[in-house]
Amino acid sequence: MRDTLKRRGLVAVGSMAAASMVAVAVTGGVSSATSGTHQVKAHASSSLPGLYGNIPAPSGKPVNGGTVSIAENPGAGPNYIFPIVPSALSSVFTIYQFQYLMWRPLYWAPVGATPTIDPGLSLASAPTFSNGDKTVTIHMKTNWTWSDGAPVDAADVEFYVDILKAAVKESAANSGNYSPGYFPDNVASMSVPSKYTLVMHLTKSYNPQWFYLDELGLIVPLPSTAWSKASPSGSTLAFTNPANAKKIYDFLNAQSKNLATFDTNPLWQVVDGPYHLTSYTSSNNAATLSANNTYTLGKPHITTVQLVPFTSTAAEFNQLRSGTLDVGQLDFTDLPQVPQLRRQGYNVFGYPDFGFNYMAFNFLDKTGDWNHIVAQLYVRQALAHLIDEPGYIQGIFKGAAVPSYGVAPKYPTSPYTPADNLNPLYPYSTSSAKSLLTSHGWKIVGGTMTCEKAGSGATACGAGIPVGTKLAFNIDCATIFTFVCQQVDSFVSDAAVIGVKIAATQKTFNFILSNDNDVSAPSNDNKWAMTDFGGFTNSVYPTTNTLFNTGGSYNFGAFNDPTMNSLINASVYGGNPTAVKNELSYASKALPGLFQPAFDLVWAYKNTIQGPVNSFASLSQYFLQPEMWWVK
Amino acid sequence: MTAYLVRRLITAAIVVLGVTVITFVLLHIVSPSPGRVVLGLRASLQAVATWNRQHGYDSPIWVQYWHYLDQNLHGNLGFSYKLNESVNTLFAQNAGRSALLSGSALVLALVVAIPLGIFQAVKRNTPGDYVLTSGAFITYSMPTFFLGLILIEIFALDLNWLPSEASQSQSVLGVIQQANWMILPVVTLAAVQVASFSRYMRSSAIDTLAQDYIRVAKAKGLSQRMILTRHLLRNACLPIVTLVGLSIPSLLAGNLITENVFNYKGMGVLFFNSLSNEDYPVLLAYSLVAGVLTVIGNLVADVSLGLADPRIRLK
Repeated sequence: MRDTLKRRGLVAVGSMAAASMVAVAVTGGVSSATSGTHQVKAHASSSLPGLYGNIPAPSGKPVNGGTVSIAENPGAGPNYIFPIVPSALSSVFTIYQFQYLMWRPLYWAPVGATPTIDPGLSLASAPTFSNGDKTVTIHMKTNWTWSDGAPVDAADVEFYVDILKAAVKESAANSGNYSPGYFPDNVASMSVPSKYTLVMHLTKSYNPQWFYLDELGLIVPLPSTAWSKASPSGSTLAFTNPANAKKIYDFLNAQSKNLATFDTNPLWQVVDGPYHLTSYTSSNNAATLSANNTYTLGKPHITTVQLVPFTSTAAEFNQLRSGTLDVGQLDFTDLPQVPQLRRQGYNVFGYPDFGFNYMAFNFLDKTGDWNHIVAQLYVRQALAHLIDEPGYIQGIFKGAAVPSYGVAPKYPTSPYTPADNLNPLYPYSTSSAKSLLTSHGWKIVGGTMTCEKAGSGATACGAGIPVGTKLAFNIDCATIFTFVCQQVDSFVSDAAVIGVKIAATQKTFNFILSNDNDVSAPSNDNKWAMTDFGGFTNSVYPTTNTLFNTGGSYNFGAFNDPTMNSLINASVYGGNPTAVKNELSYASKALPGLFQPAFDLVWAYKNTIQGPVNSFASLSQYFLQPEMWWVK
Repeated sequence: MTAYLVRRLITAAIVVLGVTVITFVLLHIVSPSPGRVVLGLRASLQAVATWNRQHGYDSPIWVQYWHYLDQNLHGNLGFSYKLNESVNTLFAQNAGRSALLSGSALVLALVVAIPLGIFQAVKRNTPGDYVLTSGAFITYSMPTFFLGLILIEIFALDLNWLPSEASQSQSVLGVIQQANWMILPVVTLAAVQVASFSRYMRSSAIDTLAQDYIRVAKAKGLSQRMILTRHLLRNACLPIVTLVGLSIPSLLAGNLITENVFNYKGMGVLFFNSLSNEDYPVLLAYSLVAGVLTVIGNLVADVSLGLADPRIRLK
């Protein structure tokens, strides 16, 4: 689980980080991790079912030259350049849309909008696992080079891991991707048997597919020959020495805190990505990048990329309307004006990122015996029947969303999406919801659904629910996006029809983050029954590890299910490379929360910009691939 | 006068101190553990605890407040962990731009509103007065963002006469050099002020026109121009002096809505983003600066009033 909070304004990057794009042709990528007994392949799709709007196929021949202006997310411009990003500054906008243009991840995903590894853009071939899946061997490609001419080799991967270890040893907050016990803590040692081969010895056996996609996907090889120093003119230090690694990290971190020198510091000019930074304005985070003429996969057609800062989505939309912005994201409130934008020469499309939105249950809230009520699966199922996904998609999202009945949404498609996540297990039906409750001893009394039959029998309310208990509880919704509370309002309204009384309260996103989370604020356990803050973005291998397992770091309402725990363990530590499908299948049935539609990230780009469909589709996953574009 | 100023400055210091206490305590109550908000949901408890300890948020609140006060007294407004910049730098980057926008709008508003108010007073209860009064009410009741969007739609997108955003230059000089980029935001901001100021001016001018000295001036046979400029203007402007004094905080503290609509990064946007991110150091510093400016604005208004009207004695 990438554990990326779905908050468009400030999406924090979680573990897996990669994207993909292949040459001009729209082709699918194939990824595989091999173990002693298994091999998994993830095929990308070249079509985009469920797409809002359209992405035309490219026309004409690629042309070299030109400038493209791309909107930065309002209020979220890049402000840290060193690829080991502190938690406080970690966001997809800083990492995917800024740093990845300069420094490429070891394994690149997705392919377009499809969450899968793209071997063509990866710096290494799929890893091999041995020694009972405790040893990982990474074979680097031999053709990648840094802009200073040095090869991108195994030492650069080792350098990243050593510096990351030094960073998180100094403070766990020094890397937004860091979770104690996981990468790089689980790397006991490394060796470099040859220039392009790195061997990692792990502390325990891991599911190869999980380790490949979710852990190794975090790695961004860094130029060890250029950056292994502790001062601008210092000598090269042996970074494998932890004391030196700390000095190097401190130096690079300090350099990255000096925003005014981002574009002039020679350190940041050593890149392996398609662009390098030529201008950066610290006061508004505007950035201009120029093509890296030595980019391994070929010099980009577009020579200049401007990342344009905005103060609001309204200001960004005005620039699209005026035609002065080439690529920008649209707010849902702008969707009625899409036809006009198209007439002005923009292509508009939307697609959800790979993730899920949900309303989390609080299984610890004892108010009105809620903890006993919500522990009953039939209650959760009844409430799931009150989620009107088709209605939300048409009414609230104006068609720019897709159904989602579990952790994996219907789109984008993933090799790990279980079949039962594609259709509603609990379709919208107030009568079904009412029937489930009444068949378990509940009855509408004075307008409120009330328990009439205590006990744990098949037709009783359930253990710990006394007669007279009312099905009435509260829910917080985050005001970060209008649609979050709109969905909650609709849910509350439908619940009222069958006598379920829900009191909805709007809270800020940060309030919910700080207060409606058992892990963060256990003293508030009796203050909320449900909460809707948005959701999470999945990693390529979409396990819910740390999210739905008992004691998980981000287990909002302390969902506690032994079956879920064992399935998650199998996904992370087992040998079955597709174990996560079983996990996701079970999650959609066990309902740790109520799943909601996956909303689109809607983008507009000038139709003079051409490129492979996948290079635009990846925008929906927050990735920029202007190196694949050209201006007609 | 000196004793008055000293007293006012002492009072001002106490007020500012009160502002810092209230702001600090309120923010502490809202989120006593900023580490969680700063680092995000996926941050481990260990990371949150480490961060809180590193930034002193595990200390008793009075210790935290003392450190905050101490660093402020040394001219250090803190470091924004969300923006990766010192707050002093952030303010230095944004204050000038905000002051330019707000100052230009204020000057424009005064230049338009004062004659407009006098005109309405002189032409009281005429069709011209009614039209201007209606216009003032409409403008005053119109949300700034709505007015801004309408102006953009008409003058930038439909007529294509002006840019749809403010100057993107990061220096004040650069913004001044792109004056045409600032027309729409300045007009948007000034329009509401014109509506407000002109109402005050009209009311004050009507009162002044009824004064004996105006009648005497008329009886002496002075021209209306002389009466208006020599006898009416200075007296009728007294309420405006107070209003201008009270506008001083907005000069630096920024105008959030206008800055947002016109893509003009200034203090208003900085505050808004910091509020969204619960960026404590920026919020605290912003409140402090706004408090100081409010106190200064009041002081300036009182002193200016005394200077403008000798009948008012500052004791």
